[in-house]
Amino acid sequence: MNLRLFAVQGTWNYERMLGVGMGYAAEPLLEDLKAVDPVRHGEAVVRSAEFFNCNPNLAGLALGATARAEYEAVPGAQIVRLRTALCSPLGSMGDQFFWAGLVPALIGLTLIAVVLGARWWAILGFLVAYNAVRIWTGYWSLRTGMSSGMRVGAAIGSSWLPRAIEWIGPAAGFALGASVPVVAAWYLGIFGWAGAVGAAGVAVAGFALTRWFGPGLTSVRFALMAMVLLLLFRRIGL
Amino acid sequence: MTEFSPHVVLPFLLWDTLVGLDLVSVPQAMISRPVVTGAVAGALAGDLEAGLRIGVLFELFALDVLPVGAVRYPDYGPATVAAVALGAGTPWELGLGISAAFGLVLAVLGGWSLQVVRRWNARAIQRRAAALAAGESNAIRWLQYGAIFRDMVRGFTLTLAGLVLASTISDSIRLDRETAVAFTLVAIGSALAAAVSSASRSSGRGTRLKWLIAGLGVGIVLAVMR
Repeated sequence: MNLRLFAVQGTWNYERMLGVGMGYAAEPLLEDLKAVDPVRHGEAVVRSAEFFNCNPNLAGLALGATARAEYEAVPGAQIVRLRTALCSPLGSMGDQFFWAGLVPALIGLTLIAVVLGARWWAILGFLVAYNAVRIWTGYWSLRTGMSSGMRVGAAIGSSWLPRAIEWIGPAAGFALGASVPVVAAWYLGIFGWAGAVGAAGVAVAGFALTRWFGPGLTSVRFALMAMVLLLLFRRIGL
Repeated sequence: MTEFSPHVVLPFLLWDTLVGLDLVSVPQAMISRPVVTGAVAGALAGDLEAGLRIGVLFELFALDVLPVGAVRYPDYGPATVAAVALGAGTPWELGLGISAAFGLVLAVLGGWSLQVVRRWNARAIQRRAAALAAGESNAIRWLQYGAIFRDMVRGFTLTLAGLVLASTISDSIRLDRETAVAFTLVAIGSALAAAVSSASRSSGRGTRLKWLIAGLGVGIVLAVMR
């Protein structure tokens, strides 16, 4: 396991995105190349820190594949093309699995467990479950990248990842769906019907307006606007 | 409101700096999720209930964020900690609304500070462009350490500003009970809207939507039984 992969987003910027972080993570992998072929090592270091972007949890696939390709003396232009070609699929698959699947699924379950009284156990369970999957994925991705080299695309296609994406999405939908009424009841239980109806009205208005206006009106902007309106109404005695 | 003595402020600063780093730089272990951050901040402030109530609320807002590619999003971690510092020690139904308003503003500021750090990172890379083009591993290493240090300073500064502002707000703003409750209800309603919006948007019209509806059914049963 390359621990530097945990900091692959450390130098995130709008020019090279993960590029420099990938270069940092590649350093120990390319170390042996220095003794074998110092010129090639220098070129490999340059390539390793060029523009790259993908989901950080799957970065090991690209890192391992390109490192192996460097040792196999694959032409540099081909390695650059491989890196470029991997950006979109690794970004898309990783984001679907982690950001749109695993995280909301675990968060939904955690919120339910917190409300039902598990509190610290719920939070600990979330951290352990997420990090276990994430560390294992990091280990798997680097190993798979290193073992498959330029054939990493085929290795990803036949792996567990596409199948996992298919089932994690519905699981996330279920967990999120279940958590919303539970959390709503937890908050609104003490306010009685009037309070619950008032909050539900704000929720419906927020949902409708943020859908209507799209990215121009985020949920945070809606909340802040609603609070400012409330202050104004209170000021004029409504 | 949390008492701002050094033995409270220092753990807050330390925890929040780690939380700020965790969001993007290192190690992305999810300690920056508001539900985690809020619980720990609540425990540090001696009011776990406030920490959980504020943490769960911000978690509902955070569900609406899909941090993919170069998307810009609020930083809820340090915001949650500062909001807990403001709301701790007050009955949650009175303190939640004003803490949420304060935290949301801070989250937006936190998101903006991320953009600043990213621009600084780009400038640092431009300054070392020649070394990078020459394949100097040292340059890569120092760029990485420098960027992580910048993000650490960002988290620390954001927390410090948040704690100072929280202290000022608690001294200067007094809401009557009715307004405080109304604020809380608006905050809860807005957070629920964010969560539902996120869930429905990510579900589309396929299988996931069916599972979302099934989950809603189970959630309603759980809420009634509770």
